[in-house]
Amino acid sequence: MVEMKNVTKEFPGVRALSGVSFSLRAEGELHGLVGKNGAGKSTLMNVLTGVFPPDSGEINIHGKSYPRLTTTISRQLGIACVHQHSQLVPSLSIAENVFCGSLPTTRIGLVDWNTIYRETGERLKNLGLDIDVRRKVEGLSVAERQIIEITKALFAKARIIILDEATAPLPKSEVEMLFGFVRRQRERGAAFVYISHYLEEIFELCETVTVMKDGRNIGDHAVASLSQPELVRLISGVEVERFRHSDRIAFGDALLEVRDLDRPGVYSQLSLTIAPGEIVGLTGLEGCGKDSFARGLFGLEPLGIGVTLLGGRPYRARSPREALNQGVAYLPRDRHGLGIIGLRSVRENITLPILSRLMGLLGLVVRKRENALVAQLIEKLNVVTPSMLQAVQFLSGGNQQKVVFAKLASVDPKVLLLDEPTQGVDVQAKVEILKIIDQLSREKKVAVVVISEEIRELLDICDRIVVMFKGRIVREFLTDDSRTTGEAILHAVEGTGVA
Amino acid sequence: MRANQLRPVPVLLDNLIWFLLLLALIIFSALTNRFFTVNNVTNILVHSAVLGIMVIGQSFTLITGNFDLSAESNLGLIAVLGAFLMTASGEPSNGSGLLLNPLLALLVMFGTGLLIGAINGLLITRLKMNNFIVTLSMLIIIRGLAFLVTHGKTVTGIPASFKALGHAYAGPVPISVIVLLAAFALAFFVMRYTRFGRDLYAVGGNSDAASVSGIDSQRRIRQAYLISGAMAAFAAWIELGRLGVGATRIGENMIFEIQAAAVIGGISLFGGRGTMLGALGGVLLLSSINSGLNLLQVSGFAIDMVRGIVILGAMLIDAQKVRYTMPPRIPAGAASTTKK
Repeated sequence: MVEMKNVTKEFPGVRALSGVSFSLRAEGELHGLVGKNGAGKSTLMNVLTGVFPPDSGEINIHGKSYPRLTTTISRQLGIACVHQHSQLVPSLSIAENVFCGSLPTTRIGLVDWNTIYRETGERLKNLGLDIDVRRKVEGLSVAERQIIEITKALFAKARIIILDEATAPLPKSEVEMLFGFVRRQRERGAAFVYISHYLEEIFELCETVTVMKDGRNIGDHAVASLSQPELVRLISGVEVERFRHSDRIAFGDALLEVRDLDRPGVYSQLSLTIAPGEIVGLTGLEGCGKDSFARGLFGLEPLGIGVTLLGGRPYRARSPREALNQGVAYLPRDRHGLGIIGLRSVRENITLPILSRLMGLLGLVVRKRENALVAQLIEKLNVVTPSMLQAVQFLSGGNQQKVVFAKLASVDPKVLLLDEPTQGVDVQAKVEILKIIDQLSREKKVAVVVISEEIRELLDICDRIVVMFKGRIVREFLTDDSRTTGEAILHAVEGTGVA
Repeated sequence: MRANQLRPVPVLLDNLIWFLLLLALIIFSALTNRFFTVNNVTNILVHSAVLGIMVIGQSFTLITGNFDLSAESNLGLIAVLGAFLMTASGEPSNGSGLLLNPLLALLVMFGTGLLIGAINGLLITRLKMNNFIVTLSMLIIIRGLAFLVTHGKTVTGIPASFKALGHAYAGPVPISVIVLLAAFALAFFVMRYTRFGRDLYAVGGNSDAASVSGIDSQRRIRQAYLISGAMAAFAAWIELGRLGVGATRIGENMIFEIQAAAVIGGISLFGGRGTMLGALGGVLLLSSINSGLNLLQVSGFAIDMVRGIVILGAMLIDAQKVRYTMPPRIPAGAASTTKK
């Protein structure tokens, strides 16, 4: 169906693709595309969808060569791309979004709403999604939006659909829903290219996987012939050590203590204590209240009613500023929306919350002091950047996340709340980030809460894992306990475990 | 890999203003020998003073990702109000007859500027109104108020001590020019080396991320509008001295020149980017173009046209800059960074 040969693409100063060949052979193929951040996966797909013309190389689609592929031609050929960030118009209805760009009209040239609603409804039902097509997209869950996007692509007669990190913003339950949908569509003959950092998903969904590294295709493999560690090795090119948290230390008295915290409709009777230097994992399904709890502690949402003590004194934060002043820092899940200021430099991003501490005479920031601090953090967290003046948006995802960590570390927090700290970073960067978390907690005696649905990761990093279900804490696991297994935690997460 | 490169295009774009200024100076010097004289350069700088002070105020709002369209009316109202308060009633002065002490008049002028800035800021941040609508409405309302003060009459007889700032010289150098340069130097330092300035860049770059970092983004935006108001009062002080009279139409149609100067100087309309030094370059470029075209005796309509083209060019550069500084990994459907 698709045959890309020797495709090369350069951007000023970077060779993003060098001589990459890539092919989709059969109808209904589910083809994984993996590699580290910046390996060239997205660029390759942008060449296929006609966004970037290649500098050299050949692209054959359905047996015909296209030397000048544009987005329009590629769309006509039935190639569509669904991105991590939704391309739907939130304020329009589902039906209008599906037909967007090709609204049918009646004989006198008015928009034919009847047809739009009827057709969208029928087709969505055929695709296995029973939903009111007059609803606005803004009220839909992220998975539903992704499905609507795929549906829209299918309406436009797409036969080859690229899912670029499509599950990154999805909670686990919705990933399953999306996979089910994808499998049904492939039975109807649609082929999928699936780009993901979540290797479990590649093994679950795909038959073939292409590994990219430094702008090259370093191999196509049948998924069945590979093990996950083998794939990790291929992607990173080196043996990635599995991270293990350092030895337990004797924890002192509780630093953060929450007793009987209630927030109606979100969570109830939450009780939790965390000691300095301890790493506690907080997991559960989407909507179990785990992230609201963290956002509440940080003053982004109301915390609710109950006792909250920090170092034995009552704690309350009505804004992030108040939280930071009391030594509570938060790493947001949404890195681009809340974590970084992409336009500004690494230095400015890191010292943003602590400028008042770097001020000298007349309230001017003392550059020497600032530079020294930033240089020290860059080195300690191993941020790869040409200089501290580089705009953060040009760093890879993993390095952007390290910048956010550097920012949090600069505050010298007592409590760190980390919401999905390894989301959207490659395997190697993941290990480095886990190390940073471990270091912060052990060396600086920071109490750390890691909120994540990656149970394996929690087992690696945490001393204790707390599981929430429907707004309540249902179980606690000590990770050193031999009875603590991923399976047992999963049962608790799904609400099927023995309480 | 692509993370680790310094990009040549933005570096050029960020410093473009100085190349353009040099180019303009060379062209006009070649076309007329009256351009690059001590007299004319002084003249250009004097004409830059009011525009420059206004650009400083505007830049504070622009860097937070906002703007203040009402600034020019604000300048007009404050100028005519200040003149009105300090002068005698009846013809030919057309003042209030209060003969207010210049210091008290200044107090009222700055108070008015701050009040208007506060109203803008509150409407935009507290009541969540759109900044375009708010400042456009204020632009119209305040211009109306300026007419109400004297019913459109021109006020004369402003005390000499008040006018000194706008027209006196310190040796060979006009005081207004010294003030202009000092104000830009101060603004430059505030933006670069104070927490306030750095917060403004953060708010303009990503106000949500700034909030999560402990910055009160909404408060910073209000403060930017306060500065915009205060700068209008400051500019009114200089303008009254330069013109010698208070007229209700002071500052009319100036807003586009103000924004153009800031944007040509590298301050982005999209917020979070640009320096005060660049903005000063923008001011000098626009003043040079005005002066050069005047010396060449180009007709008024043609000058307006050239200004329009310059403004369009500035917006073009700003938009391109945003395009070039986006990482190449942009989704399909958005404009691509490479041309066909």
